[in-house]
Amino acid sequence: MSHHIEFAGLKKVFGTGPDAVQAFGPVDLSIAEGEFISLLGPSGCGKSTLMMMTSGLLEATEGTVTIGGSQVKGPQTDIGVMFQDNTLVPWRTVRGNVELQLEMRGKSLKEFSDKIDNLLASVHLEDFADRHPYELSGGMQQRAAFCQAMVHDPKTMLLDEPLGKLDAMTRERIRSDLQRLWMQERATVIFVTHSIEEAVQLSTKVAVITPRPGTIERIIEIDLPFPRDFDVKNSPEFAAYVREIQEIFRGYGVI
Amino acid sequence: MESFDKKPMFAAMKLRLQNSWMFVAFFIGFFLVWEYSVIFFDIPLYILTPPSLIVEKGAADLDRLLYYTYVTGTEVVLGYGVAVILALPLGLAIAFSSLLKRTIYPFIVCIEMVPKIAFAPLFISWLGFGLLPKVIIVFLVCFFPIVLNAILAFSSLSEELTLFCRSTGAGVWRTFFKVRLPAALPQCFVGFKYAAINATVGAAIAEFIGSDKGLGFYIQIVTGNMRPDLAFAGIFFLTLLGLSLFGIVTLAERLLIPWHISVRRT
Ligand SMILES: Nc1ncnc2c1ncn2[C@@H]1O[C@H](COP(=O)(O)OP(=O)(O)OP(=O)(O)O)[C@@H](O)[C@H]1O
Ligand SMILES: [Mg+2]
Repeated sequence: MSHHIEFAGLKKVFGTGPDAVQAFGPVDLSIAEGEFISLLGPSGCGKSTLMMMTSGLLEATEGTVTIGGSQVKGPQTDIGVMFQDNTLVPWRTVRGNVELQLEMRGKSLKEFSDKIDNLLASVHLEDFADRHPYELSGGMQQRAAFCQAMVHDPKTMLLDEPLGKLDAMTRERIRSDLQRLWMQERATVIFVTHSIEEAVQLSTKVAVITPRPGTIERIIEIDLPFPRDFDVKNSPEFAAYVREIQEIFRGYGVI
Repeated sequence: MESFDKKPMFAAMKLRLQNSWMFVAFFIGFFLVWEYSVIFFDIPLYILTPPSLIVEKGAADLDRLLYYTYVTGTEVVLGYGVAVILALPLGLAIAFSSLLKRTIYPFIVCIEMVPKIAFAPLFISWLGFGLLPKVIIVFLVCFFPIVLNAILAFSSLSEELTLFCRSTGAGVWRTFFKVRLPAALPQCFVGFKYAAINATVGAAIAEFIGSDKGLGFYIQIVTGNMRPDLAFAGIFFLTLLGLSLFGIVTLAERLLIPWHISVRRT
């Protein structure tokens, strides 16, 4: 597999002089095409910052990001980004919000009509397509934002805590939906989460990040069969991965 | 824009009417107390007149009142309209231009501190008793709230939405019409409503200072002639004028931003 996304000496410092905050890096990392990599790290270690730099929405202080062989210098429009805070607009319905992504890109709504239906159904929002965001719970809004982020068929996806606001049960269900979608499309995914189990269940690789300024402590390849259903999750191998990561965090003193 | 169900709106209105009987009773009570205390305390009619007499005498002078409502209404509509037409684009320009933000914006904030109505005698001495000075004064009292709210409206798109727009690669115009403009409308309406309240006040004071027609002129003349009944009739029509303008702006708000928390009902 080719190296699809590459970070080389990537580093971000906010501000200058004595007030400067070193938020992230330096980090070197290569992500292969079709990989599902989770970033796991304590709050404030720079995960969102890394996402912003990858999508070209934030300039790196040092180092480079390369996607598909070309260096990131400005906003990357052929990827899908799901931001940590939701980007639904209050004047459009759920469907309208998903369509906004297409309209902003000048794509034909007709062509994507089925795709929107399928996406909404896959996150169980089909009955709420014509509702406005304020009529939805926080978790439902997040599911709608998820559809908005990936409706345009991006081959690379950056998901910043997409399941953060969901209750444990919905979260479980959306995880399997996400896994199914990923297995179908085989997009390259960078996924931020605070849940160790979620990372182990979904990912081909888990990158464990140190507290701020975040650097990569270790990359753990998760060698378990897909789909990682109930049985896989209850296997001793799965538990061993979770334990391994927990040990690292215990070393940081964050758990 | 998606359609909103109007039926619950009417149901809600009915409910509100049912709940408002106490207010209505108080309102009627207020006028009854007014009516009978004028008689009971034997207040001379040139000081205060009972409501019944205001209605009677006002009706007798209806032609003049209606004509003057038309005159003042014209000043209000022209001044307000021009203020909206000029203030919105200016607010937009200031919000998006760092040059204007550093030059015109502080200037506008300074002028905002000056009570605009204090300019009224000057404008009337410069431009005479006609329509123009009144329109200018109405314009002045409406312009600033609209501009300042528009600047705020167009410069406060949330960080996430700004990033979202950039991530789609959409151009300036598309971003403006699909996201920035609708997002700014609620704050713009704060300015429109504030200005609508200012407009009739501005017109009336301008007419007090110098005019030969209009409701402000009327109120001043009849008060001088010891006719509080007619003054109240004039005030009634002035109030009606103010409420109509405010009502139209509120209606526009309801049509344009039915999704906003200030408008929708649950
Ligand atoms: N615009 C900014 N200006 C200054 N400092 C910032 C800015 N954005 C982030 N930071 C700092 O950078 C560090 C990393 O922030 P970031 O949002 O990337 O963390 P995170 O890993 O996503 O945290 P969380 O898990 O809580 O979302 C934080 O310490 C924060 O204070
Ligand atoms: Mg974050």
